[in-house]
Amino acid sequence: MSFTVVRGLQSEIFIPTVPPVFWTRVSKSLNEMVVALVTAGGVHLKSDKTFRLAGDSSYRRIPGDAKSDDLMVSHGGYDNTDVNKDINCMFPIDRIKELAKEGFIKGVASTHIGFMGGGGNIAAFTEITGPEIAGELVEQNVDAVLMTAG
Amino acid sequence: MQRAIEEAGIPTIIIAALPLVVRQSGAPRAVAPLVPMGANAGEPNNKEMQRAIVKDSLKNLVSIETPGGIVSLPYEYVAHV
Repeated sequence: MSFTVVRGLQSEIFIPTVPPVFWTRVSKSLNEMVVALVTAGGVHLKSDKTFRLAGDSSYRRIPGDAKSDDLMVSHGGYDNTDVNKDINCMFPIDRIKELAKEGFIKGVASTHIGFMGGGGNIAAFTEITGPEIAGELVEQNVDAVLMTAG
Repeated sequence: MQRAIEEAGIPTIIIAALPLVVRQSGAPRAVAPLVPMGANAGEPNNKEMQRAIVKDSLKNLVSIETPGGIVSLPYEYVAHV
């Protein structure tokens, strides 16, 4: 069997591409790690400014010792029913505190981060908000980040 | 976001309700319990499930050795809406 070869021929079928991976090797064991939570679920302090429900690329700081009752969600992209009943189902702040207390991890970061994912200005997230959040986490020397999103 | 944090030198893992979306976005590490979007860390007020998901997620942060690795977690919550 022989094949016809046409140079430069491109498929008309859209093939999704996966972006190149970023990867940081884990160098500590869990009981030596200070862990921060980052969520795209629109979580913030009740006393803080709510997110604009359609397209908001800002983020909110959430103190590591914040009480779950002091938190709320403003997010226009998913059903908030469950998270309104219990913030931990999207932002497991009480669970991570318990694991720190037990020594499963070394500690909880002094500041967690909430933003509103699910679309909006992707360029702003990629070029501005992402690096800003990453910078905050690097500054407070966290060893690992647990995210909820997607 | 996860990529930006990982690029800054902090290892990350994401708890995903939609693992295929997460794969498409190029997440470095992910776990996927059987949960709906909005209850990624487990059923509301089910401390035991949330705790198990958070604990297993952190264990997978250490054990996943392949960039882009997604591990299914054996917890299921179906929201009745």
